[in-house]
Amino acid sequence: MAKPLTRADGPQSVPALLQRNATQFANAPAYREKEYGIWQSWTWAETHDEVQALALGLMNLGVNEGDFVAVIGRNRPYLYWAMIAAEMVGAVPVPLYQDANAEEMAYVLGHCGARFVIVGDQEQVDKVIEVQEGLHQFEHLIYLDPRGLRKYDHTTLHQYSHVQDQGRAAYDEYIKELDRRIAKLDYDSTGVMLYTSGTTGKPKGVVLSNRNVIETAKSSSEFDGLRQTDDILAYLPMAWVGDFIFSVGQAMWTGFCTNCPESAETMHVDLREIGPTYYFAPPRVFETQLTNVMIRMEDASPFKKRLFDYFMAHARKVGPSILDGKPVGGWDRLKYQLGELCIYGPLKNTLGFSRVRVGYTAGEAIGPEIFDFYRSLGINLKQLYGQTEATVFITAQPDGEVRSDTVGVTCPGVELKIADNGEVFYRSPGVFVEYYKNAESTADTKDAEGWVATGDAGFIEEGSGHLRIIDRAKDVGQMADGSLFAPKYVENKLKFFPNILEVVVFGNGRDECTAFINIDLTAVGNWAERNNIGYASYQELARHPQVMDTIQSHVEEVNKSVAEDAMLSGCQVHRFVVLHKELDADDGELTRTRKVRRRIIEDKFHDIITALYDGSKSISTETEVTYEDGRKGSIKATLEVRDAKVVPVARKMAAE
Amino acid sequence: MNATAESYTTEDGRTIGPVVMEMKNITLRFGGVEAIKDISFDIREGEIRAIIGPNGAGKSSMLNVISGFYVPQEGEVWYKGSRRPSMRPYQVAEQGIARTFQNIALFEGMSVLDNVMTGRLTHMNTGLFAQSFWKGKAEQEEIANREVAEKIIDFLEIQAIRKTPVSRLSYGLKKRVELARALAAEPSILLLDEPMAGMNVEEKEDMSRFILDVNDEFGTTIALIEHDMGVVMDLSDRVVVMDYGKKIGDGTPDDVRNNQDVIDAYLGVAHD
Amino acid sequence: MPEQLAFTIEVFLNGLMAGVLYALVALGFVLIYKASGIFNYAQGVMALFAAMTLVGIQNGQVPFSHLINAILGTDVHHFGWHVHSAIAIVFTVAVMVLLAVCVQRFVFRHLVGQEPIILFMATIGLAYFLEGVADLMWGSEIKSLNVCATEGACLPQGLNMWIDETTYNAFGYGFFIDNLDIVASIVAIILVVGLVMFAQYTKQGRAMRAVADDHQAALSVGVSLNFIWILVWSLAGFVALVAGIMWGAKSGVQFSLSLIALKALPVLMLGGFTSIPGAIVGGLIIGVGEKLFEFLIGAPFLGGATENWFAYMLALLFLVFRPQGLFGEKIIERV
Repeated sequence: MAKPLTRADGPQSVPALLQRNATQFANAPAYREKEYGIWQSWTWAETHDEVQALALGLMNLGVNEGDFVAVIGRNRPYLYWAMIAAEMVGAVPVPLYQDANAEEMAYVLGHCGARFVIVGDQEQVDKVIEVQEGLHQFEHLIYLDPRGLRKYDHTTLHQYSHVQDQGRAAYDEYIKELDRRIAKLDYDSTGVMLYTSGTTGKPKGVVLSNRNVIETAKSSSEFDGLRQTDDILAYLPMAWVGDFIFSVGQAMWTGFCTNCPESAETMHVDLREIGPTYYFAPPRVFETQLTNVMIRMEDASPFKKRLFDYFMAHARKVGPSILDGKPVGGWDRLKYQLGELCIYGPLKNTLGFSRVRVGYTAGEAIGPEIFDFYRSLGINLKQLYGQTEATVFITAQPDGEVRSDTVGVTCPGVELKIADNGEVFYRSPGVFVEYYKNAESTADTKDAEGWVATGDAGFIEEGSGHLRIIDRAKDVGQMADGSLFAPKYVENKLKFFPNILEVVVFGNGRDECTAFINIDLTAVGNWAERNNIGYASYQELARHPQVMDTIQSHVEEVNKSVAEDAMLSGCQVHRFVVLHKELDADDGELTRTRKVRRRIIEDKFHDIITALYDGSKSISTETEVTYEDGRKGSIKATLEVRDAKVVPVARKMAAE
Repeated sequence: MNATAESYTTEDGRTIGPVVMEMKNITLRFGGVEAIKDISFDIREGEIRAIIGPNGAGKSSMLNVISGFYVPQEGEVWYKGSRRPSMRPYQVAEQGIARTFQNIALFEGMSVLDNVMTGRLTHMNTGLFAQSFWKGKAEQEEIANREVAEKIIDFLEIQAIRKTPVSRLSYGLKKRVELARALAAEPSILLLDEPMAGMNVEEKEDMSRFILDVNDEFGTTIALIEHDMGVVMDLSDRVVVMDYGKKIGDGTPDDVRNNQDVIDAYLGVAHD
Repeated sequence: MPEQLAFTIEVFLNGLMAGVLYALVALGFVLIYKASGIFNYAQGVMALFAAMTLVGIQNGQVPFSHLINAILGTDVHHFGWHVHSAIAIVFTVAVMVLLAVCVQRFVFRHLVGQEPIILFMATIGLAYFLEGVADLMWGSEIKSLNVCATEGACLPQGLNMWIDETTYNAFGYGFFIDNLDIVASIVAIILVVGLVMFAQYTKQGRAMRAVADDHQAALSVGVSLNFIWILVWSLAGFVALVAGIMWGAKSGVQFSLSLIALKALPVLMLGGFTSIPGAIVGGLIIGVGEKLFEFLIGAPFLGGATENWFAYMLALLFLVFRPQGLFGEKIIERV
């Protein structure tokens, strides 16, 4: 079935790939979704019919070539089809983050001038209706789930299945025109437009051509030997480039099956049921899962726990080597097999990783312990480094060369160079066309020769050729004495402790570094429960003296390890506070992908930062918070400022 | 008020059907105490009907009369055009009247799905012998029932806890599961006994949305009891107000809000 | 194979068979207790009553013959026919269902909502009443019960011989297992599987589980408590009949049969009052435990007869260390 696919004059657009799959893999599963407790599935042939019906329906509603069609909702086959159908009719699909608030949504819809919006359910419909006043080009809204929408005015509101029905009815009228539009698509036509969440400023619309999408999908699929029989679980935001490339690009190229969970809450159960062979998750997800395993083992019977500890120790010793195909003694191998039977196998099954052949993590640095834990179980977890502007892939780790501290070697077709200030530049077939309606930013990011600035500082390791990323280029600063300030580097080291969820390190232009810390409520809460420590809220737990002591010991441990690296030893954390609230995307402190927004935090908590540097022992503060339903409130707290031990280093000028 | 047999359309465009249930001069005594004193009101098809009143006003007793848990000493219950004889609760349930309880009565030892499936009991027809000898039909019925249960699970967004034993759920979720079980019976009247009791603001909002959605999506007639006026006024089409076992008001939320007796009852004017 | 080990295995197997019987009686208790919270002291008497009714019908005995003769001055004892045991069993089941209806209609329906201790006292009354009725109906002499032999064998008679021979050839020691025990075990397994299937997959079974879990909730989903209680009393009556047949076939139908109820008590302590698998595992543990203990420790060191008290001692230990039994629901309630 999965015979090698050759490119020469192959399909030049995503719709063309769909047509190819509908003939070549007609009866193989293309999409699955769990609904009403059962996995529903569609073959490639059925998928083609569904997409075509929607495309015809869209033409019937008047979608023109060059229009923008926004797609908002959780991962569902219908919404993936919506994107493909949009491209079929010559329009540009624009997936949006479903948890974006009305304001963010209004900006994006207005910026691209979407005439059509296709959404999942009432919640999204309400949001779009709320902002439609300000959108001049917006015309039609199509929704998937009719629940709660019956009473709405349906003059410009349409049910997805009705649009498809009308499309099927108008088959004869539009099919010729549709075929003409599909035939017109080529490598240079736009495949998708994705808005970057943007750590600063307004989101930018990254235009990706079919060339970007298909070339990247092709080379990355070959890099990891993806097959037509693979299964992937699509659960990450559809607006994120990674999901588009995995669930649309690679899925279309290799013809594997995209599985959509029933809802965000059932994701772990669904993961176990599907048992994907190709899996991507940000470090946070792996971290949470590991934390859950550890919590459950704490509660297990002593016998089970001892068995677990024994075999996990053995797995850590030999597991990664076995996975990398390095020589391992016969006895160790046998013991590993026994462990597979008793512990690793059942554990992988519980986690849903039994069948994972290729697993990736990216986006943030992953803790070495976490990374090694999964690899020692025999899960081929690897790291990659990518960006929306690169259509994901810049570097990735080949099988057998996997380490937690690098992001791998350049992907096929990618060139790398490092600028004098340490910033990483790349050039590849995946390099984006432009930022939509933003020539200035395009020029800032991509030079005439096609080199794109990543905004990250890093270096290529001698010998192995692996890329190592230190931090965001703009965040790498200088301390008052001129030594290097790399906050992310320190933050990541701290975040590797399960008790710590989020860290923000300050120190640019100052004499010493300080930090804000968020504890991990699950891990610390569980610890508190086991030790009979009562707490009513996050805030109360966060200021418990024993919690503070634990965090302090973590900080001091990190200081020791930071001090070992001469270049970065100035980044040791001298003083810290445990924040009274969790940093939250709803309050604008994190991006939607949960990256720290430094400037906003510096501004919002300036009083606490002052306290960190003026030697005070505690600080009283009041902070505004936004509740889930959008209401605002404020919390008051008095925070204890702690001093942490640092390893003395001979002060010297940076670098030289 | 409109004639009892006619339908009418509300301001927000919903169609309210004819009267489906009528309570006529109900009096309920416990020993010498009169919990309900000569109360009459009706419930129309497709509406959300609230019974409100301060604690101890006799609201719960009223709901228990409707659901057959209490038998009133005087008065008549008319249901779908005919007088209902004295009935046991399970017979009332078989007639298509489902209910929830203020203190939650779930099958704690079963999973959520099992609880919802148990709500389908009145729709299971194949008897004991048919089930043992006529496997095909029983299986078909089981599948059909499971489908209804799953649609409701999906509707109330409790898919993630489908297989979880009920005893492990939070209070708010239990309330939702109880609603799911009542809905599984596809009732013609759904009785909710203080659906928002003991919930925080967010859970209350969720529950209100579900109640409205149920009414909207399935057209289910809902009668509910609440002592929290605010929630009820936004939710219901018509409201009966009770105080000390007596009916002191009946009408749209606006009517009731301006009713002097109601205002007095809620502001705690002394009774003489 | 060493002689001692072979003996031990044989004792173990025999214990298992005895355990099956304990399990059956305990099962009757669990059914009623789960569904209605009544601890049915009369379960043993029900087994006796069922067995006597069966024998009576089989032998064509005239019920209440003493009473009839005394009042009317007649002298009838037998109808003079013999009933095929299959038909007799059907009739007995009908009698047990009738009994269930009467018990529910005349006793427990009037006691709804009473304290457990009152319900328990009612079952003691019921036990003595039933014992009296059984005496009056069928007379008090010991009767032999034979379900199989009269109509030829239920099992090929050679089965235990076959086991004996095969094991002899294989291990050099032939195991002897009573034919009746084999039949009893098979019947018990079928009964338990049937009950579980019934509870899991039928409308009535689901309703039964609902009632067992929460009365109020069961009412609200349209379950008639009265019907379910009659159902569980009937089921318990049926289980009692099976237990009565087995015990009766082994040691004759006599009034001491009602005492097996006492043997079921320690089983319930072990297995928990609310768990069907608990009743079965508990029964097997007690059966095997008392036989092995007698064989390995009791007879050689304690002068024998430990079977009389072993089960109760074991139950006592369980009460101290795991009051909810092996599978029972946790007694400690979460706040």
